[in-house]
Amino acid sequence: MSHSTPPANEPNSTSMLLEEPGVLVAKKHHLLVRCSHWLNVPILIGLILSGISIYWASPVYQHKPDPTTLNVDVAADIGIWICAHVPGLDQYSSPPDWIYNHMSLGPGMLALALRLHWLCAYSFMLNGMVYLAGLFIGGGWRSLLPRRTDLFDALRMLRYYLGLPFAKLIRRKWLHPRFNTKYNALQRAAYFSVPVAGCLSVATGWAIHKPMQIHWLAAILGGYSAARIWHFWLMWVYILIVVPHVILVFADGWDTLRSMIVGWSTRVKRPEFTANEQ
Amino acid sequence: MNNKAKIDCVDHESRTNEKAPSVAVESVSAEKRQGLFEERLPQLIEIAPRVLRCRTRRDFLFFGAGAIAALAGSGFLLPQDTLRRMGARRTVDSPAKEWFLNRALRIDDDVAEALYSGNRRVPTYTKSQTTPLKNNYNGATPDPGYISGWNLAIDGLDSGLSVSIDIRNLMTRFSLQEQITRLVCVEGWSAIAWWAGLKFDDLLRAYPPMSQAKWARVESSVNLDESGNPDPYFMSIDLATARHPQTLLATHFNGQPLTVDHGAPLRLLVPVKLGLKNVKAITKITYVAEEPRDYWAERGYSRYDGI
Repeated sequence: MSHSTPPANEPNSTSMLLEEPGVLVAKKHHLLVRCSHWLNVPILIGLILSGISIYWASPVYQHKPDPTTLNVDVAADIGIWICAHVPGLDQYSSPPDWIYNHMSLGPGMLALALRLHWLCAYSFMLNGMVYLAGLFIGGGWRSLLPRRTDLFDALRMLRYYLGLPFAKLIRRKWLHPRFNTKYNALQRAAYFSVPVAGCLSVATGWAIHKPMQIHWLAAILGGYSAARIWHFWLMWVYILIVVPHVILVFADGWDTLRSMIVGWSTRVKRPEFTANEQ
Repeated sequence: MNNKAKIDCVDHESRTNEKAPSVAVESVSAEKRQGLFEERLPQLIEIAPRVLRCRTRRDFLFFGAGAIAALAGSGFLLPQDTLRRMGARRTVDSPAKEWFLNRALRIDDDVAEALYSGNRRVPTYTKSQTTPLKNNYNGATPDPGYISGWNLAIDGLDSGLSVSIDIRNLMTRFSLQEQITRLVCVEGWSAIAWWAGLKFDDLLRAYPPMSQAKWARVESSVNLDESGNPDPYFMSIDLATARHPQTLLATHFNGQPLTVDHGAPLRLLVPVKLGLKNVKAITKITYVAEEPRDYWAERGYSRYDGI
């Protein structure tokens, strides 16, 4: 069999197909990848909210007690600053708690935050396995692997994103760099970083959670206190990836968002493909 | 590159959808063998629009159901204070929520217990590595008056007797072991401190617990709450942990007898557990068969606390 065009008459096709021409769609995300992607939303929100509540109990970033407020916590300082400078917040009842009231479950609920954190953490580990299974079964892992040309291509993409608003402003054409891979280099870097950060979060989490039974793990990470700092900053990796991720998905359009729900995309043409369809 | 790509017809989808079949079209390069790590071209499928609409609807329904379930789940699990701050008018505080969260905690406790090994020693440090240890009494620090008449009572022994020992007796009868280990608080901070004390295991050998005992209830009757009223502190310790070679009944801190801040005259030092299990100013140890009550477990924390 060697067709140069998609077949119109399959032996078992019905009159339906003949009436309505078929649509060509490209498989994009495996079912398990889609499930774990969306499950990550509540799990990560739960981990961050409960995590910052846990942080409240013993903040990593502290300074000498403030002479008037006796405050030692940098996060509380930020809350105090926000309440003093953001209009409408000057009457806020507890400025030192502002950050914790808005970015965590709230201050003073360590026991509950810990229980929620364990619940979400075990879910996160299970979900990570579902994700990896989906990546390997669906073959999607190949699209995430870094390439030798990535650094240069990432800079090209960065230049495109940075220049886009300016080009729009002066109504100049600003072309998206062409690539014939599923993801561009920046996307690849981000999507490759997520499972890496996931593994590191799990490792640092266990190092903090079981610093005696798995003490070698904390030792690798530079000790128990260092593991806490690692764990804290890994949270920011997710935030720094998720925020542009969500913005760019909406900017990219409906097809991209839909493909994470249904698994396919109607964008079947890649530069390499176009060349084939003489 | 791929100019002579052949498009093979592979019928994947029609088996499940006999009425409205769709056709999968795969691009396979006949000339070039792809490396294992090389990205494949996407699999293209030709599909009847009706089938596509049908599947899209199905997937979106599943997605919507999942989103509603996630919202309902977080409304169910999040603390009432948090929900109220987020603007929820009605909040539920059901026993099912407590049950569910405790269930998750129990799983984590089982993992901790499975990780525990009686032979695994915790890291020890040098005197130059010690860090300040704050007085973290959960309430007010007790008045030192209790120290002069202090005795350690032991119950639940194999002999059936109750034993009462004073601190001088304890320190002369048992050899003291020095130990510089890290104390890790449930709040997240930790401190490396230089301790000395008798091994809990030695006490267990000198006064064997009754044969069916699996737990020790370690308590302090001098513990106070924040306003200074008596608030006895009691902790459950499994005997496997009590027998750990680094589990001490500490009498000294930084080379000096314990001060009131650190639980004079005798405190539990169990580095394989969180700090809250390290009962200060122990007044009584009772060996029991069933898991005893635990001060912080009753306040929503773990009961095993293995680290």
